[in-house]
Amino acid sequence: MTDKADILPGTLDLLILKAVSLGEVHGYGVLLRIERVSGGALAIQQGALYPALYRLEHQGLIRSEWGRSENNRRAKFYRLTPEGRRRFGEEKASWKRLSDAMALTLTATPQEV
Amino acid sequence: MVNGLVARLSSLVQGLVARLSSLVQGLVASLSSLAQGLVARARSLLRGIGSRSTVEAEMREEFRHHIESRADDLVHQGMPRRAAARQAHREFGHTETHREHARAARGLRLLDQMRFSWIDVRLGVRMLTKHPMLTLVSVFALAIGIPVGLAPMHLANAVEAPLPEDPDDRIRGIRLWDPVTASPVTPNARDFDLWSRELTGFSSLAAFRAATVQVESDDGRAAAVEGAHVTASIFEILGRAPQLGRALAVGDQASGAPDVVVIGHDLWASRFATDPDMVGRTLRLGGVPHTVVGVMPAGFLFPARQQLWIPLRDEVLTGAGTPEHLRVLGRLSSGTTAEEAQAELGSVRRAEAADSRTADERVVPEVVPFGMLYIGLPRGGLVSEPGFLFFQLLALALLLVACGNVSMLIFARTATRFRELAVRTALGASRMRIVCQIFAETLVLAVLSAGIGVIAIDWILGRIDFAMLTGEAALPYWLSLGITGEAMVRALALAVLSATVAGVVPAIRITGKDVQQSIRRVDAPASGIRFGGVTSTLVVADVAVSVAVIALALGLADRMMSVQASDHLVGVSADEYLAVEFRLADDGIRGGGGAAAERMFTERLASTQQRLVERLLAEPGVRSVTVAEALPRMDHPSRRVEVDGTEVSDRERGRYVRTARVDVGFFDALDQPVLSGRAFDFADLEGDAPVAIVNTVFVERLLGGRDALGQRVRFVVAGAEDGPWHEIVGVVGHLGTNIVNPEGGPALYVPAAPGTIHPARLAIHVGNAPESLAPRVREVLADVDPTVALEPPVVLSRVRQGDWYLMVAVAGGLALLAGVLVALVASGVYAMMSYSISERTREIGIRSALGAPRQRVVLTILRRSLTQLGIGALLGIALAAFIFTDPDGGARQTTLIEALGASVGLAVGIVGIIGVLSCLVPARRILAVESSAALRAEG
Repeated sequence: MTDKADILPGTLDLLILKAVSLGEVHGYGVLLRIERVSGGALAIQQGALYPALYRLEHQGLIRSEWGRSENNRRAKFYRLTPEGRRRFGEEKASWKRLSDAMALTLTATPQEV
Repeated sequence: MVNGLVARLSSLVQGLVARLSSLVQGLVASLSSLAQGLVARARSLLRGIGSRSTVEAEMREEFRHHIESRADDLVHQGMPRRAAARQAHREFGHTETHREHARAARGLRLLDQMRFSWIDVRLGVRMLTKHPMLTLVSVFALAIGIPVGLAPMHLANAVEAPLPEDPDDRIRGIRLWDPVTASPVTPNARDFDLWSRELTGFSSLAAFRAATVQVESDDGRAAAVEGAHVTASIFEILGRAPQLGRALAVGDQASGAPDVVVIGHDLWASRFATDPDMVGRTLRLGGVPHTVVGVMPAGFLFPARQQLWIPLRDEVLTGAGTPEHLRVLGRLSSGTTAEEAQAELGSVRRAEAADSRTADERVVPEVVPFGMLYIGLPRGGLVSEPGFLFFQLLALALLLVACGNVSMLIFARTATRFRELAVRTALGASRMRIVCQIFAETLVLAVLSAGIGVIAIDWILGRIDFAMLTGEAALPYWLSLGITGEAMVRALALAVLSATVAGVVPAIRITGKDVQQSIRRVDAPASGIRFGGVTSTLVVADVAVSVAVIALALGLADRMMSVQASDHLVGVSADEYLAVEFRLADDGIRGGGGAAAERMFTERLASTQQRLVERLLAEPGVRSVTVAEALPRMDHPSRRVEVDGTEVSDRERGRYVRTARVDVGFFDALDQPVLSGRAFDFADLEGDAPVAIVNTVFVERLLGGRDALGQRVRFVVAGAEDGPWHEIVGVVGHLGTNIVNPEGGPALYVPAAPGTIHPARLAIHVGNAPESLAPRVREVLADVDPTVALEPPVVLSRVRQGDWYLMVAVAGGLALLAGVLVALVASGVYAMMSYSISERTREIGIRSALGAPRQRVVLTILRRSLTQLGIGALLGIALAAFIFTDPDGGARQTTLIEALGASVGLAVGIVGIIGVLSCLVPARRILAVESSAALRAEG
């Protein structure tokens, strides 16, 4: 677990939106999906996941429905609403700008100053 | 070059448009996203509130699924089942904490904190008994404030309520409305005929007009009784059957049918001793014999408080003339709504309405509730009147003032419970929870006050004799001001509003940041809560307004007492005149007869009047007799008068002026000198050149002081043709055109021929003890015409009319308001003082121990309250002076201030004494503080 990176504050919502945007998924699935796509680099505190999911649902960015999971258990599945899709696009673009700027700044050499 | 400029301009404009449109698009997008977000939040919150247990159960199930899935994965990785389950639980963490966070994410936690419990209510009730003085004052303030806030809307609703005979709300008035003058236009016979034929939305229509009818009793004396000319259909529409005999029938309306009448229960009981053989008896109505065919049961008073119903003759309904004040109502056909009836009425073909008023494009036909038809309110009801909003806001402002004061008391009450709040906070109560608790406690107080206030008002309304209070006929039977369920709901809403203002504001201040910090200091000697600037401002404002209101009430009372003896103000020796009012018998009957009957009536009235005046002048001691529409001190009718040569727009023409039609010898009979020009003479009645006499105030205000003689004036009536010009031929002093302000106000007099003033008012100049002539006047009048109805004669100096009653009502209202304000001042100062002293007990103890004289200690504590009292009193004096200053009349100002100076002084005295007493009672406690005890208490 030590090689896993901590999630930056404020990025949990974006990660969940991304996970849900890849297809309908239940809460535990969100956790697995983020771990899987980040190659195990990003680990989410399990306790923080559900408040974040409920917050996004409360804001109308994701929607939930009860269904059957792969192990045939009753589970609540989340999917993106149109508003959630729009917000995800915005957040992604904004994150991209920030990370590009960070990368540029961190790779700067003395010559560039 | 021009081309270049145009091109640049056009590109500039295009650029601007593009930027603007992108800006608008962005704005629309963000607004719509905001709206969507809000809708989603509201929906989620509602779900959380509505199906809380489902939401909780789903949360538990979702967590279980998570933990079980994780355990499955661990088992797949080779972990034993039980160890996997334990591991999954450990990784997931404390479920209750997650659930708590999840609730917060859904916005439910705030809701949980706001949830009230019975404990809060019980605490609220206990607080009421723990601080009884504070409870008494707060309840007093709110029990008056809440009904006052409720009153305007309550009245507006009462006016629109259905008739008591019409619980299903199916009866509607049909009328014509002139939007330009904002007044109803009386429909004529053609309109009634047209509506009766065309409207299918009404199952039946009825017409009526109210009239005062002279009913002769067996001894030949006549008395005026309120009655109505009605079509027979009214009884069917109202659905009430007579107690004896029959109701009016369609046949009674026919031309030439025998004269019949249906009488009311009260008349039957009071005049005919509930004679079981009433039906068939003959009554002389206005000198014409009518056969009684029926007696209506008690409580039938249509349209207002009537006791006689005479058939409205077909010739009135089909005649060419317009009967005055004809009103039409109908019962909606089953299945038809009022809106549908309105649509149908609007579409009645105007082309077919030749000769009817409906044909006038300007008037709007309307279907309205009965009360609006009767009172003549616009379609929107009282609420749509421009003054309504003002009164509603004023009433709410009064309530707000009461709430502000109660809030101060709640603040003081809560501040004394500082330790309790500290303990609750320590035990984990959030700030929101404590605010809610204080709100709930205040709500108990507010609901109690609302209940007491509403019940008290209901009780008082049931006992007020409106006839006595207003000098007018009693309220219409259908206007019920009693408290309805709807009014109760509104009172509760106002109680919640009051509790929010009075409870939440102090609660937020008390639980504020500084206090929170202070709570954490275990050894805090006192709460550290201080009354702030808001409280001081409130006390100062209370004192100022109390002083002004009490001064105004005292001033009014003073004025009311002096009105009686204010002959010098009236300009006439009113105590030497006997005022007599009489009505001729035919009034009320003549409406059916057209122009010929009108002429006959005038001739009879003229003859009666002349014979009466002659006979009275022959009586010993009578010096003069005169007839007028209104005598000095009585309320003269206000009419709009335009002066020739003042050019203004059509709508603004004319100024309201008190007027009176008087007989030719009026001024002479009243010993009034004509200051310039001449008095009226008989030639003025015959010539084609109408004349007028004005008073000096008229000359000052409407003519700007220039020579009045030869100027021309005329009456302006909105929506009607202008009257002829009257030439001013004389100027007189002021004769008192109303009772409240007899020496002020412009007045205009026009001469009236005998027989044209009805009811006629006689001023008989007798000299000493005019009332002794009253019995003789009765005898003479009975001798001249026994059917004439005479109002009780009264000495002119004792006449009290509309303005007088208004003044009584205003003075009463002010006295009540003053009472509330003084109680608030007293309680506010008392609460502040008590609180300061309990907070500063240790300081007082130390000062005393160090040898400070007790008086100085007392003064130090009192200083703040005394300063507030002083500033408030000064502001109150300024406010009173401002209110009493009449911007219009320069000369009046000084006399008024002189007259009211004493009132202001007295008001300051009253408020001052009560304020100082409120300080001194708690201050006595300072003197009782023992140094050692004080130090020990907080040590």
